[in-house]
Amino acid sequence: MTPDLWVLLALVGLPFLGAAAVPLVYRILGERTAYFAALVALACLGLVGLLYGTEGAQSVDWVPALGIELRFYVDGLALLIATLASGVGVCILTYSGGYMHGEPGQPKYYATLLAFMGSMLGVALAADLITLFLFWELTSLTSFLLIGHYTTESSSQYAARKSMLITVAGGLFMLVGFVLLHAVSADALGSATWALAGEGSMLENAGAMREALESEGLFVVVLALLGIGAAAKSAQVPLHIWLPNAMEAPTPVSAFLHSATMVKAGVYLVGRMRPLFLPADAHPGSLELWTLGFAALGLLTMTVTAILAVAATDIKELLAYSTASHLGLIIAGFGFAGHLGAETGAFHILNHALFKATLFLVAGIVAHEAGTRKISELGGLREDLPITAGIAAIASLGMAGVPPFNGFYSKEFLFHAAWETGAASGGLYYLIPVVAVFGSVFTFLYSIRFLMLFFGEKPDELGHVHSPPVAMLAPPALLAALAAVVGIGGITGTFDVPLGPLEEFVGSVMHAVEPAGAEETSFHYYLPTTVTPWAIMSALTIAFGAALYPQYGRLHDGIRSLLRGPVRANWWYDTATEELNPTSTAVRDRVQNGLLRTYATWVAAAFAVLTFAGYVGASVDVPVPQEPATYLPLALTAVVLVASVTVFGDLSLRVATTVAGVLSVLALGIFAWAIFGLGLTPAELATQPPVVFVLALAAVAGIAVSRAPSHIAGVLTLSILGFMVAIFYILRDAPDLALTQLVVETLVLVIFLLVLDKLPAFYGGWDRGRMARDGVLSLAVGAVVTTTVLVTTAASPNEESVIARGLAEASYPEAGGNNIVNVILVDFRAFDTMGEIAVVSMAALSIVTLIALRERGETR
Amino acid sequence: MSYGDDTTVIARTVARITLPLVLVVAISLLFQGHNLPGGGFIAGVLTAAAFALVYIVFGMEYVQETIFGDEYEPDGSVAGPAVVDRYRTLFGVGLAVAAGTGLGAMAFGKPFLTHTDEVVKPSTEYVAWIPGADFIFGTLFKFHWATAFLFDIGVYFVVVGGLLAILAVVGGE
Repeated sequence: MTPDLWVLLALVGLPFLGAAAVPLVYRILGERTAYFAALVALACLGLVGLLYGTEGAQSVDWVPALGIELRFYVDGLALLIATLASGVGVCILTYSGGYMHGEPGQPKYYATLLAFMGSMLGVALAADLITLFLFWELTSLTSFLLIGHYTTESSSQYAARKSMLITVAGGLFMLVGFVLLHAVSADALGSATWALAGEGSMLENAGAMREALESEGLFVVVLALLGIGAAAKSAQVPLHIWLPNAMEAPTPVSAFLHSATMVKAGVYLVGRMRPLFLPADAHPGSLELWTLGFAALGLLTMTVTAILAVAATDIKELLAYSTASHLGLIIAGFGFAGHLGAETGAFHILNHALFKATLFLVAGIVAHEAGTRKISELGGLREDLPITAGIAAIASLGMAGVPPFNGFYSKEFLFHAAWETGAASGGLYYLIPVVAVFGSVFTFLYSIRFLMLFFGEKPDELGHVHSPPVAMLAPPALLAALAAVVGIGGITGTFDVPLGPLEEFVGSVMHAVEPAGAEETSFHYYLPTTVTPWAIMSALTIAFGAALYPQYGRLHDGIRSLLRGPVRANWWYDTATEELNPTSTAVRDRVQNGLLRTYATWVAAAFAVLTFAGYVGASVDVPVPQEPATYLPLALTAVVLVASVTVFGDLSLRVATTVAGVLSVLALGIFAWAIFGLGLTPAELATQPPVVFVLALAAVAGIAVSRAPSHIAGVLTLSILGFMVAIFYILRDAPDLALTQLVVETLVLVIFLLVLDKLPAFYGGWDRGRMARDGVLSLAVGAVVTTTVLVTTAASPNEESVIARGLAEASYPEAGGNNIVNVILVDFRAFDTMGEIAVVSMAALSIVTLIALRERGETR
Repeated sequence: MSYGDDTTVIARTVARITLPLVLVVAISLLFQGHNLPGGGFIAGVLTAAAFALVYIVFGMEYVQETIFGDEYEPDGSVAGPAVVDRYRTLFGVGLAVAAGTGLGAMAFGKPFLTHTDEVVKPSTEYVAWIPGADFIFGTLFKFHWATAFLFDIGVYFVVVGGLLAILAVVGGE
């Protein structure tokens, strides 16, 4: 049964609508907005419920011209992520009602959290690459706002910036991968498509896609690009560094981001792409390129971040590293070929969400009630928080992978898959199961350390710890209960009474991440009843962990002492960003120093250089007009100009005479050449006078501007130049241009007169260097403008020009207007005009705002 | 700087006479724009220039109190005189109108900003007995309208509102 389109649209749209409504709701409900938001999430959960039992794609056209659609696809994996996002969302939002009491910026908080949930639902359900990318980046954007919730604290700013830089940059890699997939799909499917899943999609034709990727030599490239995107999002080594900093967010946000959403997006992508890159005949133990990449990445992350978690001093930091570690486990699971890998990934996504969300909420309770998050300052909390201690026990034993708690089963699948892969290839590949056990030992260690916060001696400095409110206790209790149910399902499964619906559901997730045509296997989980290598691996993990636990303090100190300098991935990030800061400051001080003339210099220089580079790059020929008549106005203008300069100019006599002499000789030469060399009659020369007069007057005005004794005189002479240009337009049959030039010139004159009062009377000293620079710049701009005019008018819009004729012919029949200029503005190119009036509005708003800021004495 | 205190009678009289003319020309430029030189942008700039004349000759308060007829108080969110708030609304409305014509096309299933036009002629069936009815009703009263004109009105509002806001703020300094 295919899902209902309206349910899908409602599901993805509802959180955004809810987010839009939050500011209004907050005015009415105040802090109880949390429960409104929780209701929205609950409605989403209900809608997800409606989707159970359906499978397939639905789409609406979005940008038909590019083949982009809003396409949604429902299968086990999508349902799992959507259920987690909305279900954990309900718990988180309810919990926020207690946790955020009295905190600043609550409307923003709830609106962003809902929008974030909506983006995550979008990621889970999207089946069009562009739609997927859109929602993907929306999660980055909203999580940036959530992580930087305490906007005034520099650590929040740092954390938000870091997560944004890393996840968005990763997303861009992914986008390139998507575009390549799109391009390759033309080979594989006949026509290029953005559709990832559903009818006529890439996943449906995975075999053909794989062949096309390989024949284009893009298989590894695309795999790497998508891998980087997923690794950045899912905090895989060495891109894991943003995750611990993201702890600056309020604890409910951490719980949401790190258990059920954000980081699961990367995992989701890996799961979604798995059937595309893994051959259908891959079996447990087979070594595909996919396995080498993702299993290695996952195991490395799992081990490294587990070790880092042991070095953590703060409970949220510990949980953050543990999140990265478990994501590594899931990625490694998806990396292993065959049904075992699929089982690991699918089941651990669920288990991890359950215990990790619980543990974060527990950490929030501890921080909130005990007032500290330092591991060394906490202990013996069991006395004051008995219920919380029980919850924490279920969740952290699950995290440790102790039977019969939920995390045990999925870790057992990982061991099984790792063992099969190692055994199938033998030799060095036995390192795979060894690394898996090695990493898991550390997982065990930090899980138990977290649990021990509740046991042992209570430090004296820790005063009385209050009990948390029900709104904060109920959500983790519910989540822990679910985790416990999963665990109990394993016990009953051992006695052949499995938890049917759960196994069926995880089975459907597994099915979604297996290549089409792979061997059908149903999903069952139970406690080990026979001695197998993987059961021994589990036993070893626990045994080593238990043996090492008494040395936890020394391990902790030892790892910390090793973490210095370039060993830490953070060092690279910090060094790179800190080294770049002075550079950007230096650039800013040179380019934007607050002096208008500096801005003008840079704009003019950039214009000249870029335009010129463009011409050179495109190797444009500068068309030199061949008709001699073209030069006559120029020649005549030069004569008038020279005459006026020599007569009225107050240049030093010698310079003036020299310039005048040279120019006169030049002009007379051109003149003589026109009459004698080209044989033009004086009658032909006589057709030019009005244009010559107007241009000459404009040129004189141009000279006069630079020599004007006062601002007023300068502005007035400048407007002479402008009006002369307008008259030139009239003479050249361009009434619309002339009209525009006239009114704009008038208005500019008025505005100039208004601001003249504020301009400094004197621009500072004339040093030779600056004059030379300005002179060169003026010449460069003039040269570029001249070239541009020559290039653009080379194909003059006459009767022969296709564009001009096309426009003229289409103007009346298609747009009902005879004024081609206006028709272009308001009809043919109305979208451009739309942009331009938006710019006018923005400019007006900026001016109003800037002046308002200055009046309030604000400098920023 | 305040204007309007030191202007001469000549300036005031000339302004009084030219202002209506300029405004009428501006409006006619707006209306004829589709077929003859003109259009929303030119008309908008001309209108703004006319108002600039009023500012310089009669002063800001005159505009505020006599033209808008109120002692409208700004909410403090904007700089400059109170009218800036109104201009801000004006260019907001202009943008909305322009975008609205684009969205209108979408309501009919056409791409954004698709325009249409139509010639409307009154029926001459019942007035055929009037001499020259065909000419009067068929040619003189023929009305040719285009949705692009609505867009142009949006442009006009944006230009007028934007420029006047800038003028008022800068002039109010």
